[in-house]
Amino acid sequence: MAVREKEGAIDVRTFIQENYTPYEGGAEFLCGPTARTSALMEKVNALLKAERDKGGVLDIDTERVSSLLTYPAGYIDRENEIIVGLQTDAPLKRGVNPFGGIRMARQACEAYGYRLSDTVETEFSYKTTHNDAVFHAYTEEMKAVRHAGLLTGLPDAYGRGRIIGDYRRVALYGVDRLIEEKAAEKRAYGERDMSEETVRTLEELYKQIDFLKKLKEMALLYGIDISAPAKSAKEAIQWTYFAYLAAIKEQNGAAMSLGRVSTFFDIYLERDIAAGLLTEEGAQELIDDFVIKLRITRQLRTPEYNDLFGGDPTWTTESVGGMGEDGRTLVTKTSYRILNTLYNLGAAPEPNLTVLWSVRLPEPFKIFCAKLSIDTDSIQYENDDLMRPLYGDDYGIACCVSAMKIGKQMQFFGARCNLAKLLLLSLNGGKDEKSGKQLGPEGESFAGVLDYEKVRAAYYKYMAWLCRLYVNTLNVIHYMHDKYAYEKIQMALHDTEVERFLACGVAGFSVAVDSLSAIRYAKVTPVYNEEGIICDFKTEGDFPKYGNDDDRADDIAKDLIREFYEELKKTPAYRGAKHTLSVLTITSNVVYGKKTGATPDGRKAGEPFAPGANPMHERDVCGALASLNSVAKIPYDCCRDGISNTFSIVPSALGEDREGRAENLCDLLDGYFVQGAHHLNVNVFDREKLVAAMEHPELYPNVTIRVSGYAVNFHKLSRAHQLEVLRRTYHGRV
Amino acid sequence: MNEVETARDTGFIDSVYCGSGVDGKGLRCVVFFSGCNLRCPFCHNPETLCKRGEPMRLDLLLDRLERYRAYFRRGGVTLSGGEPFLQRGFCLALLRALKDRGIRTCVETNGHIADGELIAACGEIVCDIKNQETDDLSAYDAFFALCKEGRVSLRATNVLVPGKNDTAEKIGALASLLRRSSVEEGIRFLPFRKLCLDKYRELGMVFPYVNIREAEEGDILRANIVFRQFI
Repeated sequence: MAVREKEGAIDVRTFIQENYTPYEGGAEFLCGPTARTSALMEKVNALLKAERDKGGVLDIDTERVSSLLTYPAGYIDRENEIIVGLQTDAPLKRGVNPFGGIRMARQACEAYGYRLSDTVETEFSYKTTHNDAVFHAYTEEMKAVRHAGLLTGLPDAYGRGRIIGDYRRVALYGVDRLIEEKAAEKRAYGERDMSEETVRTLEELYKQIDFLKKLKEMALLYGIDISAPAKSAKEAIQWTYFAYLAAIKEQNGAAMSLGRVSTFFDIYLERDIAAGLLTEEGAQELIDDFVIKLRITRQLRTPEYNDLFGGDPTWTTESVGGMGEDGRTLVTKTSYRILNTLYNLGAAPEPNLTVLWSVRLPEPFKIFCAKLSIDTDSIQYENDDLMRPLYGDDYGIACCVSAMKIGKQMQFFGARCNLAKLLLLSLNGGKDEKSGKQLGPEGESFAGVLDYEKVRAAYYKYMAWLCRLYVNTLNVIHYMHDKYAYEKIQMALHDTEVERFLACGVAGFSVAVDSLSAIRYAKVTPVYNEEGIICDFKTEGDFPKYGNDDDRADDIAKDLIREFYEELKKTPAYRGAKHTLSVLTITSNVVYGKKTGATPDGRKAGEPFAPGANPMHERDVCGALASLNSVAKIPYDCCRDGISNTFSIVPSALGEDREGRAENLCDLLDGYFVQGAHHLNVNVFDREKLVAAMEHPELYPNVTIRVSGYAVNFHKLSRAHQLEVLRRTYHGRV
Repeated sequence: MNEVETARDTGFIDSVYCGSGVDGKGLRCVVFFSGCNLRCPFCHNPETLCKRGEPMRLDLLLDRLERYRAYFRRGGVTLSGGEPFLQRGFCLALLRALKDRGIRTCVETNGHIADGELIAACGEIVCDIKNQETDDLSAYDAFFALCKEGRVSLRATNVLVPGKNDTAEKIGALASLLRRSSVEEGIRFLPFRKLCLDKYRELGMVFPYVNIREAEEGDILRANIVFRQFI
């Protein structure tokens, strides 16, 4: 088999299709860690412990601003590393990245007992950051809804992330070829009339080329020349890692996802094995070493940021498996090898290993994944049969659930709008239920027993108002991000003509749905405070709740999400982006809950929402499958940015033994996804284990759980987040 | 509830639980029938004894179960309770309708209603042998004979209650019953648990075994060793 760079256009997908070897067998070929890997991992574990003991941040370089060439080469253990490259000059030392906002950088340093150096402060006193620029343009109304928590988590003070560079291109083509391509594109753009758009593209192409050159220099700091294509598996992994490393040195985006590299690597690994240059043990060792590097990527964040995105995640999401458009599976031996790192190196939240599930995946692979979930609670599943028709067979997941064609599509991350709070605003005639301030257009405040049709009409009216404001707010943010914090290396690893999404989102989904159901099927009467603002509700009688496969509640859910999506589309998005929507909260469901008054479903003021599209805690009482069926009804065609469901089941309810549990988990995933569901985080454990881990974190340093589209070390979550996780439904049966 | 025979198109159902991995092979939906012919002092579902249950139409129940077909690759529907066989007409109609639709069934029964027609309609039977308060196991001979006749796969379980039925005599008698009925799968001992205490409290009922300790893994291991000596 010949592996060489493709002639003609940049096209990684065709290279994969023409060269990869599908693997339909089982896990028996896998190797454990080598002595070298285990020794290196021991060093890393000691560093991780030191980081934990220091309160979550081991060290910060406050003197320099992070970029590709800022730091000299760094190593964990120079003699014993196979794949090299660190974000700064030492492992787990965090760099400062003030391009999103200098205040965030300053506060983050202070939160961990450091002081941002005068050099950096002075340098940035002459610079407009993304954060400055957004606030220069924000309207008063935008600031007000943001402040009230109607729109929250907006990427206006930090890097937006959720962009996946096609890091594989560096291995397949070498940097020189990529520079040539971009230079040719730049010349072609130069022939056009100089519209604002063309000028912008020209400037962006300049930046891309500039950073590709820097990427080459960065690799040279490690003594490696990546101007030509990689010739071996080790080089392919190293080249690809350098490209990813450049991205995380340049940007501190919320989610800096990896893409879909394992089957690409497999081509090189299998070729080297066939040529006798590599053993299985050696192949696994390369993947293990690569994953060790991914596990220690870090960004410097503020405590407020951790409220939204708890547990210090980086979303180094790697999409594994799936099926090809020609019907062959994209599962290869390296799909197994990368998942096997969870056994070889121990359970861990990063990289965020995401299995693209198809009912047609080879059976042994399904069982292997299910066992891995049961053993480690570290992987998530997304429906390849649902996404492949829309994104082809070379897409990847950014962050938790955002699909995009690698190198061809990108998104403008738009955080989310609080649907539960919006309902309260509608009932209060546009006033914020917490502060009493008039946020939206003045309307009628509801009195007496709530009438469903009237509430629905008011909700719709305020939804229309907020959707327009939301899209416009995002347009401001992303205009400024492009202008002041453009992702140079990541966009250099995209086609120049890229398709863009404006990724909006909702939070408080199940609370809004159950509240509407209560108003419709029970008797709900508002209770007012002295200022005449609704502060609570008297809800009499029972009502159908989302999460029980009851169409009365689930139809409300479907209508609500469709309505919201249709409204969003009415306001044009920046740069011709296509509107998409997610039902995903990360861990912000706790903060959003805090900012939201009591709701008609019986949720008290300040109580957390359920995460993502999850039914509200303990309200899904008809069993795990009923709960899954409700979520499966949320239409993906309205939620192209993903529908996150985090699912916890106790082992004793899943099956009688390990084999039975694995089979049942496979059937559960098949049954859920065949109905068109999108995503499932799987946790298999008893609540007691988490209680123990909360009380004695020192005894359970590696307890990893899936929270909301990603995994965390349980001990890294704040107490509030830990308690919220404990309140979730653990499907079991006594 | 005293009525033994219910109309075949309406049953009295306590609840339907969708998503168990431990009530038969694969993933199961479990239909809990109301009413029971026994009053076991360790009963885990006392609500099925004292409440009449919700009348549920067969067609609506079938529609509801049909929603979970996608999960039934290895699994299916389990009828539990209460005692499903007590509602003869409805139980039979439900079992046959599920079979017609290609959905596998499993019935959890106490084995005291030896009805050949009902037994033959089951895809699989799990019979829980009650020897905690009695040594008379004769009822099971007839039941197991009909299972054999109807060629229905049978598994036997027994709730192991410390101090009640964990003695060598009790276990020996159990082994002898299974041997003479040639139940080849042997027995599965289920540990006695008191997780149902809250249910009793809510229902205002006394849990007769409240003062007996729960069975632990060691009890189950010991019982299995004793059982094997008799086989």
